Amino acid sequence: MISVKHLSKAFGETTVLKDVNVEIKKGEVISIIGPSGTGKSTLLRCLNLLETPSGGEIVIDGINLLDKKSNVFKLRQKMGMVFQSFNLFSHLMVIENIMLGPVDLLRMGRREAFEAAMHLLAMVGLSEKAYAYPDELSGGQKQRVAIARTLAMRPEIVLFDEPTSALDPTMVSEVLAVVRKLAERGMTMMIVTHEMKFARDVSTRALFMDEGIIYEEGPPKQMFEKPKRDKTRAFIQKIKLFGFEIRSRNFDLYRLNAGIENFGHKQMLSPKQINHIQLVIEELVMNALLAKQGDVVAIAISVGYAEENGTIELALTYGGAPYDPVADDGGDDDLSGRIVRNLVKTRTCTFEAGKNHLRLTL
Amino acid sequence: MNLTERLDGGRLTLAIEGRLDTTTAPQLEEALKRPRNGVTRLTLDFAGVTYVSSAGLRVILLAQKQMKNGGGMTVRNVNETVMDVFEVTGLAKILTFD
Repeated sequence: MISVKHLSKAFGETTVLKDVNVEIKKGEVISIIGPSGTGKSTLLRCLNLLETPSGGEIVIDGINLLDKKSNVFKLRQKMGMVFQSFNLFSHLMVIENIMLGPVDLLRMGRREAFEAAMHLLAMVGLSEKAYAYPDELSGGQKQRVAIARTLAMRPEIVLFDEPTSALDPTMVSEVLAVVRKLAERGMTMMIVTHEMKFARDVSTRALFMDEGIIYEEGPPKQMFEKPKRDKTRAFIQKIKLFGFEIRSRNFDLYRLNAGIENFGHKQMLSPKQINHIQLVIEELVMNALLAKQGDVVAIAISVGYAEENGTIELALTYGGAPYDPVADDGGDDDLSGRIVRNLVKTRTCTFEAGKNHLRLTL
Repeated sequence: MNLTERLDGGRLTLAIEGRLDTTTAPQLEEALKRPRNGVTRLTLDFAGVTYVSSAGLRVILLAQKQMKNGGGMTVRNVNETVMDVFEVTGLAKILTFD
């Protein structure tokens, strides 16, 4: 359907895309993952010619999009794009936003465009908002309207550029549910996303971008569980784990909790699971471990999520004398201990080379 | 965390919103210790509380102790996650819920 060959893009002296080669087949759902600044969004923007590539070819159904003789307008119509920042017209009602493209660009009759728009609004679950203005909608609703607007142009492929990055975490799932529905209906899609669990569940292929190339690609299961190359492995390891180091008694608990929350959302953990992780860590650190630290405070925390059995894994490493805070039963007044012991399913505590290693599962 | 106070005769209602943890519990403790004349009953409204750790529980217990000689203390609108914490710590049996 689309064949990208030796695509490159430089902004001045900076080369963002070095040599990208990829084939996209009809019905594929491709997730593009990788660290920030590795050209993921630039690749999508180049495909849609929102950025002019510096070199290479983008061949759609046998026609090179970058050939000056090609009908760029017609070829671009085959691609829809959903942005991070919705980009709805605030002075137009939802229904008008969706009808605008079909009426003005596809020359569709207003009646037909209206019916198609209402059908799409029903698909994204927003029929009742047809006559609302964008300012009256939540971020998640705006993004669902933006998806409906893109679909109204009847694209053959939809490019999603971090569609949930600008959303409050509570609104991410409603947008992802719509994207999931499109995938089930066989829509061809390319999605730049940081929602790794979603990428893993929904996509048929994952591309890992780094160094301006597609560094590794494969089925999501392989990419997320057994990546072959070092940088992919390091990236996957990093997103699967949340790490935090405490070096002072006055450490920033807000930052620790925000980090856990962020990690939890990316792993699509429930609010209750996130709450439990925060609770166990706060209780252990504030009520047990800090008190046992000497002049030098050194506590390292890592949180992981084992998807295969739905287990949350916590690992805490700390100095001082051998000490297992979970075993420490402080009696009836030990509220903190009771909370921890109730939430912890399994634990091991070892002492090696002057450090305690406490491993817990929740 | 946000605290909203409403005094109705001798009844003080403190509506708590947000997280009641190590960093915010002292704020609630301070609000409870503030001298107020004629308050005999205290209600802690937990409708907006999303998280409670043992630091928050200690302040709640302190408040209950403080109100024991008066008309007592009730807690209301506790969500399921917070109620779990009350239950595992045994506070669910000690506190009076509205």
